[in-house]
Amino acid sequence: MASMSSSPTESAIQSAILLSKVELHLDRVPVLQSLSLDVAEGGRLGIIGPAAGGKSVLLKVLVGLLKPDSGSVKVRGTEISDGDENTLMDVREEVGMLFQNYALFDFLTVGQNVAFPLHRQRDRIRKSSGDTLSDSEIDERVEARLLAVGLAGSGNKMPSELSGGMKKRVGIARATIARPKLLLYDEPTAGLDPVTTSKMYDLIAKDQKETGCTIVAVSSDVNALCTFADDIALLHLGQIRYQGKSDSIADADDELVRQFVSGADQGPL
Amino acid sequence: MIGQARIESIGSGILGGFATARGILKLIAGSARGVLRRDYPKGEVVRQMYTIGNKSFVFICITMGFLGMVMVMQSGEQINRITGDLSPLGAQFLRLFIQEFAPTITALMLATRVGAGIAAEIGPMQVSEQIDALRLSGITPVSYLITPRLIASVCMTYVLTVFAVVVTFSAGGLAAWSVFGLNPHVFFDSSQVHTYDLVLGSCKAIAYGSAIPIIAGYCGMQARGGSEGVGSATTNAVIAGSFAVLQIDFFFSGIGFVFFGGGL
Amino acid sequence: MIGEGFVRSIGRSTLFAFREIGGVTLLTGKVLRSLVPPRFDGPEFWRNMYRMGNKSLPIIALTAFFVGGIMVIQAGVFVKKLNAGQLVGWGAGYSIFREVGPMLIALMFSGRVGSNNTAELATMTVTEQLDGLRALAIDPITYLAVPRVLAMTLSLLVLVVLGNLIALYGGALFAMLLLDLEFSTLYYSLVENIGWMDFVHGVIKAAVFGASIAITSCYFGISVRGGAIGVGKAVNAAVVAAAISIVALDFFVTYLLP
Repeated sequence: MASMSSSPTESAIQSAILLSKVELHLDRVPVLQSLSLDVAEGGRLGIIGPAAGGKSVLLKVLVGLLKPDSGSVKVRGTEISDGDENTLMDVREEVGMLFQNYALFDFLTVGQNVAFPLHRQRDRIRKSSGDTLSDSEIDERVEARLLAVGLAGSGNKMPSELSGGMKKRVGIARATIARPKLLLYDEPTAGLDPVTTSKMYDLIAKDQKETGCTIVAVSSDVNALCTFADDIALLHLGQIRYQGKSDSIADADDELVRQFVSGADQGPL
Repeated sequence: MIGQARIESIGSGILGGFATARGILKLIAGSARGVLRRDYPKGEVVRQMYTIGNKSFVFICITMGFLGMVMVMQSGEQINRITGDLSPLGAQFLRLFIQEFAPTITALMLATRVGAGIAAEIGPMQVSEQIDALRLSGITPVSYLITPRLIASVCMTYVLTVFAVVVTFSAGGLAAWSVFGLNPHVFFDSSQVHTYDLVLGSCKAIAYGSAIPIIAGYCGMQARGGSEGVGSATTNAVIAGSFAVLQIDFFFSGIGFVFFGGGL
Repeated sequence: MIGEGFVRSIGRSTLFAFREIGGVTLLTGKVLRSLVPPRFDGPEFWRNMYRMGNKSLPIIALTAFFVGGIMVIQAGVFVKKLNAGQLVGWGAGYSIFREVGPMLIALMFSGRVGSNNTAELATMTVTEQLDGLRALAIDPITYLAVPRVLAMTLSLLVLVVLGNLIALYGGALFAMLLLDLEFSTLYYSLVENIGWMDFVHGVIKAAVFGASIAITSCYFGISVRGGAIGVGKAVNAAVVAAAISIVALDFFVTYLLP
């Protein structure tokens, strides 16, 4: 199995994410099986794979929304697999996530949704030090973020008034506004046309250049994701079938991987 | 012969029951912690009080009004058949309304209206991953969502119960006057009401008010998959809430009768 | 001072209430019309009878058992005060048969079956399954609503008869445990004072409640708008409407019947 890390001691410092031998069952069905993964700080990993292969579950494990049955999950050097709430809170401070169904709070306006992580961050900082953002600074940052995702002036709308693509962009704005060190995207381009898809990836890439964060994206749109990500992992039946550079995946040794990427109807899948 | 499949289904039913009990206990602990820490959004309790209280006002008014009239009519007829002396009717009814019917029937009504409302609100949030998004923002969903509803529900159930006593008693007096020609001065008599009745009625109202949002919140958070999941979460909330109300009623009335002799 | 907004909100909710009452009445008319001559789906009726009647038996039985206990505890105070043990059977029987039995069982039935039915129909509506039926030239009212209305009416009737019995036995058990009464005292007190009319009174109520739960739950299920949130709201509206109609009809039936 191809991997981008060298020795384990070194990777403990360099890795944004380090999973080893993670097992997870949901309703007695194995969803992740002895899964190991290593993502370098500042890297871009794309995760692809057939439906129900455990992609979304893997993202939720990375932020402790699901607790693995066994194995170790290290996010930026912190072990989170024991599910301790305080550790999780600290880790989640530095993580942003776009959910598959956007998960916009439908009792808040678009602007309040985007501002939500900043307000939470402010509440937490206020408890320890006291040096915080003012309301007008938060408003400015929300406006700037909405402008960046192409939704300037929509701050007062309710999420139910938006189309699916717009909701997705609000979700991205909310995930990125607190400048997290690790960003997780669950299907950032599902249901979008090719032009909007590439715009979306441009936006994500531009953000990353400014903040230097690590990105893990899950998508069923293999080609667009391969263009965006440096590395690609293919998840099949809860196991990683392939991990390597995105430009060499079409020449993988594994026939299953080649078939999935090319979309041929003949093959092991 | 009991087949293996049958035993297995009983076994998984028992395990499921334990899981549910554990989930509800966790929810009680979580929301109580939320009450102490007060880490729910500002103004949320007032907003919930409005949705739970004000919007149930007319509903409680209509249902309890009819109930008061029916009960007085039914029992008046029986008393007429036996003694014909309707004068103790009002005093006895006020006692019964305070410690039994006003809290319990109000709570049954609220279990449908408020319980279904809470599950219909939290269910979609669970299904569309909003609960996960809350957790990701470092928020405990239980204290953020359930605690304000719990506080609001306890307060408003109590207020609505007091209001229900007034409505049922007035409607009952009206029925006694128009059907049996009983003088309202005789009916409106509070001499039979003791501290015991007030305490028992209050305890019941507070217990109902806490049970309804907890159970509905639990059902909402268990919702899985699309609109079908939300529908069955709402249904479960109604039925489990109503059943819990009846059990609490039985429990409190039983304790009152066995340990305090029914207030005599 | 009463603000303009307040007046407007009263007006809006009055209009809303009238629209729902009109919709329920129209549906009632359609259901009645398809009953003479009977045109409805037989297998669908039996399937619903099983789901609605048989499957609610445990919860209804438990409810009835507790209700019997609660009634006896309430009567217990009078028994102690007036030494009126020979009246317990009659008092509990009378209130269970005529009032408490049908009403509480109907409220539970509305929570279990009525709301389930709304949720199911509402899900079918938002996922365009009703339009699918219309496209196959099947009238959704005769195919879906009529068998459900019949099944709910009939199954609540049967459940109330069974529930009354269980409530009486529950009551007798607690009367023997808490009040030290003999079973025979309770039995003779019941049969000597309770007439057929008391029993029939409750059974008629059960049928009326069953029909009203069925009509309101079908109406709110079919007229739902807007996704998962809409389904939740429809269930909420249906149980509220069912509760109001149960209590209101209880009053009118009590008033009209001997």
